[in-house]
Amino acid sequence: MAAAYDRELKKGNAELLILSLVEDQPRHGYEISKQIKIRSQGRLTFHAASLYPLLYRLESRGWIHGRWVENSGRRRRYYRLTPEGRKVLAARRIGWQEFAAAIRRVAGIEHA
Amino acid sequence: MPSYEHDWKPAIRERLARLPADGAWQEHVIEEFEQHLEDCYRELCASGVPEEVARRRALEELETSERLTEELRKMRYPAARPPAVLGDSGGNLMDSLWRDVRYAIRAIRSTPGFALMAIGMLAVGIAGNAAIFSIFDGLFLRPLPFAHSERLVDIDETAPKWNLKFVGVSNPDFFAWREGNQTFEKMAFFDTGGGTMVISGGDAERVSAALVTRDLLDVLSLKPALGRNFTADEDKPKGPKVTMLSHKLWQRRFAGDPKVLGRILKVDGEAYTVVGVLPQDAVFPSNVDLWSPLQADPKNQGSWYLNGVGRLKPGVTIQQAQADLTRIHKGMIEGEKNSVNNITSPVLMPLRDRYLGDYRDATNILLAGVGVVLLIACVNIAGLMLVRGTARAREIAIRAAIGASRSAIVRQLLTESLVLAALGCLLGVFLGNVALRGMLTLLPDDTPQWLTFGMDWRFLVFCAALTAASAVIFGLGPAVQAARLQPRASLQEGQSSFSRARRNALGALIVGEVGLSLLLLVSAGLLVQAFRQVMKVDPGFRPQNLLTFRVWLPSAEYSKPEQRQQFFQTLLERLQALPGVQSASAVSIVPFDGHSGTFYEAVGGRVLGPNEKNPVVLYLYAWPTYFDTMGLTFLSGRSFQEEEKNRVVVNESFAKFFFPNVDPLGRSIQCSCMKKGDTLEIVGVTRDVKHYGLDQEMRPSVFNPYAQRPRDSMVLVMRTGVEPHSLISAARDTLRGLNPELAMAQPRTMVERMDRSLWARRAYSWLFGAFAIVAMVLAAAGIYGVTSYVVSRRTREIGIRIALGALPGQILGWVLRSGMGLVTLGVTLGLAGAFATSRFLETLLFGVKPRDPGIYVAVICGVIFVGLLANLIPARRAAALDPMRTLRAE
Repeated sequence: MAAAYDRELKKGNAELLILSLVEDQPRHGYEISKQIKIRSQGRLTFHAASLYPLLYRLESRGWIHGRWVENSGRRRRYYRLTPEGRKVLAARRIGWQEFAAAIRRVAGIEHA
Repeated sequence: MPSYEHDWKPAIRERLARLPADGAWQEHVIEEFEQHLEDCYRELCASGVPEEVARRRALEELETSERLTEELRKMRYPAARPPAVLGDSGGNLMDSLWRDVRYAIRAIRSTPGFALMAIGMLAVGIAGNAAIFSIFDGLFLRPLPFAHSERLVDIDETAPKWNLKFVGVSNPDFFAWREGNQTFEKMAFFDTGGGTMVISGGDAERVSAALVTRDLLDVLSLKPALGRNFTADEDKPKGPKVTMLSHKLWQRRFAGDPKVLGRILKVDGEAYTVVGVLPQDAVFPSNVDLWSPLQADPKNQGSWYLNGVGRLKPGVTIQQAQADLTRIHKGMIEGEKNSVNNITSPVLMPLRDRYLGDYRDATNILLAGVGVVLLIACVNIAGLMLVRGTARAREIAIRAAIGASRSAIVRQLLTESLVLAALGCLLGVFLGNVALRGMLTLLPDDTPQWLTFGMDWRFLVFCAALTAASAVIFGLGPAVQAARLQPRASLQEGQSSFSRARRNALGALIVGEVGLSLLLLVSAGLLVQAFRQVMKVDPGFRPQNLLTFRVWLPSAEYSKPEQRQQFFQTLLERLQALPGVQSASAVSIVPFDGHSGTFYEAVGGRVLGPNEKNPVVLYLYAWPTYFDTMGLTFLSGRSFQEEEKNRVVVNESFAKFFFPNVDPLGRSIQCSCMKKGDTLEIVGVTRDVKHYGLDQEMRPSVFNPYAQRPRDSMVLVMRTGVEPHSLISAARDTLRGLNPELAMAQPRTMVERMDRSLWARRAYSWLFGAFAIVAMVLAAAGIYGVTSYVVSRRTREIGIRIALGALPGQILGWVLRSGMGLVTLGVTLGLAGAFATSRFLETLLFGVKPRDPGIYVAVICGVIFVGLLANLIPARRAAALDPMRTLRAE
């Protein structure tokens, strides 16, 4: 039950999550996956196998930009939000809020 | 230093093994995954998890290899454009297009054989069409290089009663028409000829000259480049001798010096003052060096000798103009019962048609040939794309299965087809230009100067679009179908199945291709055979080892007939004395060099019926030794002697027409150009010479002795014992030795003259042959490709048959039968087409019937043989299949 819930939500909103996470500071892939796990209190997890293709796709659309940075002998790729990505993120946030509000109203959560 | 506690790479590589190799990008992915796994592992270890467990859990990050590969493939080969989102400008269209193009090039490079074939076929189709069409366009479609050239018309007179289509315009007619017409803005007349030009301090040079009325520049809407046009006074009889130089002559002889105005040139011994230089665009009349005023006398009834050109008033049709001139022409007859204007009448036609009518049949046929090759190329490309699309159904199904949308697949295949088409077009344009340049060298030297040839870009685009469209349409069909199929069904189908509908489509393409190339081969066979027949025609003389050149004597310097006769007599003696010359003689016109006609009556010979036409007779003046030197055959009688001024030699056609049942020797004839009562006696009859071309009818002809009317221009003919070209400079020195102000014109061997007269037939016959062979090669490639493909798709079926005991010979026969069935059907349809269309060739054929059985049989055998060969290779491959291997491969 939890797994199905996890997959459905992730599918539609993974892009929003990633864009939000790199909004304030550049982060590398492992950090992004860890942040998702921490902030969702373990409810959302991303394996490398789905995370990286997603990152590459966002990058190919020009929403985020990755750069190799060397730090204490290890090279990591840090992703940051592009101006283009910023616009998309703003739009997605509004979209999500409207969607969530609509769900709340329909499902009667607000009145409960 | 290695800072990792584990080497993660082998594990990562193993899981990515099924991704297509992609160099740098893959390395980048591997490194990033490696970092991730290392981070994960270290964290787990730090939280107290045992190393081995930490390692396993880190590797779980990669999930299964299918999942990872699928995710990455989705990313690398995106199935769809990113979803439209508020604020998304969608500005990366160029990126995705570029990605498609790169992928397309990769896909094309992975099947180089297919790519080469498709590109080659496109290129051949486009190149041939573009080049031939450019010639056609230059000859018939491009506007002439004059303002409003559609209003320019050729003006001439016709005389059906004399059996002459064009006779030229006479002085009185030209004056009457010019004054009385209401339909022309302007009208001009001219006569072309030539002279020997001498500029003080330079060599004598043979130049071509036109005597023109002063309106010609206005008719063409041109202004002099330098100086002025002729004045009205200069264009009156006995007016001052003035001239305008062509732009070319001005550049060549005077280096474009503006001080040329006022200079004096000697042409045929007479002094002309240069008053102007013609603009570069003054290319009509064609290839003329000098213009001088015609100075025509309206009272001179003389002969019909003028060419006319007029500019119609805007909105006036040729028919209206012709009616206008006919009205004036008939008005001149009133009161005069025997006026020649009863016989002649004005005839108008577009300028271009008058000069290019001869080329039209040949170019139309060539254009049709090109169209067929283009069609075959399209059909072949269609077949090729159909085969390829089918072969890729499985790949497409996989891509659809892993999430590629149909639009993405279609776009990808579209890009691939377009990249192929673009490469084919580029090569085609290049080859087309090369071919056009080659064909232009085939055009004769006397092609009108006012024609311009160049690649027609609109047509090129048309050809490119047509072939590309066939590539795209037939490439997309199977792809769209595959993408629409349930991926699982398509995958499970494996390689063995092959839909009946598609096999029928391919079969129809093969049948069409074979039919079209058979049609083309039959036509080409007929044309080439006709050319060979023409080459076999006996010209009526021995053309080998004959050198000819023309000499004009300036009329001022050689005004008396005795002077002219003396000059040529001396020249002939000196030429005769040159080492290597066996005999030398002279004639007014050599074979293939032109016409000069008049009318004769036979005294006591044939009496013409009321509706019978008196034929135009070719009359020539010759030295008595001419018949021997040229190698003509006497059927009876002998040549005239030098002193026999009123004895003539006639040809076989003349004798047959005028003296059908009697021996012409000793009979008298009368020329319309002679005084009443004067007659000529026939002393010899020769076999016909093909004077107008090997493929042309010979007219009756009369050879008159030179002494009868010594002319100022003759062609010298030398039979040589050595290679004739080697004598040109010795002959020129001999001429200069006699008179340094004389020029040698058109030094050519008789064989060269004969070849030039056949250029058009040679050019279109061999071009057509080349098209037919290209068509056959394309068709063979098509048959081979499709049969190979059918065999490869039915490997499983063949394997089962062999496993069940079929012998290799039976398999061979089975494949051949199915392939040859299509070829036979194509041959049958092609034959029907050839039978129906061969009559269009009739006007171009010579000595061969449009349904010549020999050609048909040879072509049918050839096509079947090529078809057999193209089928045999894949059939043998099928027969040699190892059943165990094929079945296991499934």
